[in-house]
Amino acid sequence: MEAEACVVGAGAAGGIIALELARRGIRVVVLESGPRHDFGRRGEYVRRYLRHENPWRSPLPELDRYTPGGPTPYVLDWKRVRGVGGSTLHWEGYTLRLHADDFRLRSLHGIADDWPISYQDLEPFYARAEKALGVAGTPDDPWASPRSTPFPLPPFPLSYSDGRFAGACRSLGIALHHLPQARNSVAYGGRAQCRACSTCHVCPTGAKASIDLTHIPEAEATGRVRVVTEATVVRLETDRVGEVSAAVFARPDKVEQRVTARVFVVAAGAIETARLLLLSSSRAAPDGLANRSRLVGKFFMSHPSIEVTGLARDKVHPYRIGFSTAVSRQFTVERDRASRGAFMLEFMNSAGPTPDRLAVTSGQWGEALRRHVQDEFGRRLGIRVYCEQLPDRANSVSLNPRVRDYFGNPGPHIHYSVGGYERRALDEAKEIAGRIFAAMGLTDVRRSNLMFAAHQIGTHRMGTDPSVSVVDTNLKAHDVPNLYLVGSGCFVTASSSPPTLTIAALAIRAAEHIAARLHPTGRVAPSVSSHEHEPRLTS
Amino acid sequence: MLLGIGPGSLTSPVMGYAAEAASKAGELSGAELDDLIAFGEVLVEGRTLSPTERGFLLEHIEDRLKHTPGHLSLYRTTVRTLERLAGRPFARLDLPERVELVTRHRLGASQTSVEEAPGPFSSEMQAIRKQIVEDLIGGYYGSAAGWAIVGYQMFPGRCGDLTRYTRAEP
Repeated sequence: MEAEACVVGAGAAGGIIALELARRGIRVVVLESGPRHDFGRRGEYVRRYLRHENPWRSPLPELDRYTPGGPTPYVLDWKRVRGVGGSTLHWEGYTLRLHADDFRLRSLHGIADDWPISYQDLEPFYARAEKALGVAGTPDDPWASPRSTPFPLPPFPLSYSDGRFAGACRSLGIALHHLPQARNSVAYGGRAQCRACSTCHVCPTGAKASIDLTHIPEAEATGRVRVVTEATVVRLETDRVGEVSAAVFARPDKVEQRVTARVFVVAAGAIETARLLLLSSSRAAPDGLANRSRLVGKFFMSHPSIEVTGLARDKVHPYRIGFSTAVSRQFTVERDRASRGAFMLEFMNSAGPTPDRLAVTSGQWGEALRRHVQDEFGRRLGIRVYCEQLPDRANSVSLNPRVRDYFGNPGPHIHYSVGGYERRALDEAKEIAGRIFAAMGLTDVRRSNLMFAAHQIGTHRMGTDPSVSVVDTNLKAHDVPNLYLVGSGCFVTASSSPPTLTIAALAIRAAEHIAARLHPTGRVAPSVSSHEHEPRLTS
Repeated sequence: MLLGIGPGSLTSPVMGYAAEAASKAGELSGAELDDLIAFGEVLVEGRTLSPTERGFLLEHIEDRLKHTPGHLSLYRTTVRTLERLAGRPFARLDLPERVELVTRHRLGASQTSVEEAPGPFSSEMQAIRKQIVEDLIGGYYGSAAGWAIVGYQMFPGRCGDLTRYTRAEP
C-alpha cells in the first residue's frame, strides 16, 4: 500500500489531518486499530452503555493490555476506545479553548515550561476547529481569551439546576457561565439537533460531534482517503537516512502489511503514540524512534478530578440531559498558580445515584424498595472539579515486556502520581464547592475519591530545543524529518480544560504545514458536503 | 405513556409469558424464565408487573445470558432452589405466597449476616442473595421501567424534549 501521507489513528487528530490533507489534493491512507462502528448499531450500544459496559472497546481485548503503576495508578479500562472516531466516540463534547496564560506557566508563575507557541498563534485554528466540530456557545466567560469569531452555534440554555447554582455563586462572587460544546443546539453539518437522550457517551442521534461523523465521511468522499480498519500499526521502519519508510501494520489475522508514504503522522493518543515510538527502536535509534531526547513517554499528564455533591431538601431533577451546561473558569486564571493548580468547576446536571444504584445499595426489596427509590432519587446536586496537573518527568509511559498485547508486543506501563500541587488545588476546590452548597442550603456534602479524566496528555512534548522536547512547533519530530506526532501528547502543560478542541486546532495547523511541504503550490478543494470547511487558498 | 409502561396489571398471569421467548434466552426453558421473572416481580416492586414491565426483566436476563458467562448456571440454581423451597414451580405460587416465601427465607436481602444460621440449601441461597437479587433489581431499575418509577418516562436513551431540562418537573 502506498500513499503520500500515512496517518496512524482515525480519532480527533488523525481524522482532522486526513480531511485537511485530502482537501489539499493529498492521497492519504489512515490505519485505524479499531473497527468502524456502524451508526445503525448505536441503539444496541446505548443499551450496553446503560448496563455499564464500554461498547467502544476493541473487539480484541488483548490489544488493550497495560499495567498501571506508581503512587496513584492511572486506570485506563473505561477510558479505552478503539475505532474510527477515536475518543470522540465517547467524549463529553466539551470544547473549551485554553487560556492565553495556559501557554505561559514558566513566564507567569515560574513553574513547568512555556509552550513554544502562543494562544495568538493558535487562535485562528481554534476558530476553524470550532466551525468544523460545530461548537455551541456564547462569549459569556469572563476569563476567556479574545476570540476572532463568534461561536458557530447558539448555546444550550442553562439547566434548572444551573439556575439554582447561579444564585448561590452570585452571592459568593463566583461567575457561572455557559459551557461550550461540540453538540448541536440546532441542526448543523448535516446532523440533527440534540434531542436530550441523556446517553452522550453513546450519542444515538449523532447530534454530538464525533470524527466518524464530522470528518471521516467527507475525507473518504474526496476519493483521496482510504481508511483501513482493524489495522494496528506494530512498528515504524526507517531507512538509511533516518526517515520513516513504512508503517508496518497487522490485522486480526496477524499477517504483517506495509504502507509506504512520504510523510507519516502518528495520532494514536498520548499513550499509544508513545508506545509505538518505543516499539520502533532500531540500531540507529536504540531508545525508540524520535527519542534522542529520551523524553518519549515522559511528562504524562491527565486532569485529576473530584466530584463534590450535596443533598437538597427537594427534587433537583437530574439526568434529563447527559451533559453539563455551565462551568466556572474563575479559578483557572485568577490565581497564583505557582503553588497549586488551576481548576475548573463544572456544575453537573446529573449527580447522585441513578435508580439502579439506589436500588442495589438499599438492601430493600419489593414495595419498600420502590418507595425508597422514589423518595431518594433526584435530590443531589454536584460539582465536578478538573484540576491542572504539572508536568512531571517521573509520570511516564514505558514498555512492559512482561505484558504482551494481541500481537505479542510489550504493552504500555503507566507510572503515575498526583502531587501536592494538584492535591492542594482539589482541597481548595472542595472548600469552594462546600461554600456554594452552604449558600444553597444543601446538606450531607460529600467528596468523591480522586478520579482522573479520560484525558491523556504529554509523552511527546512540543518545543524548540531538541534536547528537551520531542516535536517542533509544527509537530514534526525533531529527530525524524518525515514524522509528525499529533494529539494531546504534544502539549507542554495540561491546563484544566478538556484537550480535544486544542488537539483539533493543532491538527489543522499541522496539516497546513504538511500540505505545504508535500504540495507547495496546492489549492484547497472546497468542502464536499457542507457548511464548515470554507475553501481557503494556501498559496 | 411514552414508554408504553402502564400501571401494573393485577390480573396478568405470570405463567406462560416467557415461554415464547425461551429460545432467545440462552438455554433457559420457558418454565425457568417464568420462575425467574416471577421471583423478579417480587423483588423489584412486590406486585404483579405489566407485560411491558416484565419485558424489561426478560430483556435483562437475555442480556446477561448473552454477555456474562456463568449466569446461566446461576439462574438455573435460582430456579431449582426456589422450586425446592416452594415444593412446586415458583411461578405457580400466587403473589402473596411468593412474597411470603421470599420473606420467610430472607431471599430479598442482598446482604446477610455472617452469623446467620445456615438454612436449607444454604450455599444456593447465599448465591441467590449475593448475586441474583442484585442482578435482577439492578437490571430492572436500570431499565426504562426503573426510570419510569422516578417519573422519567423518556429515559433511558430515548430522545425527548430538549427544553425540559431547563425547568422543574410539574
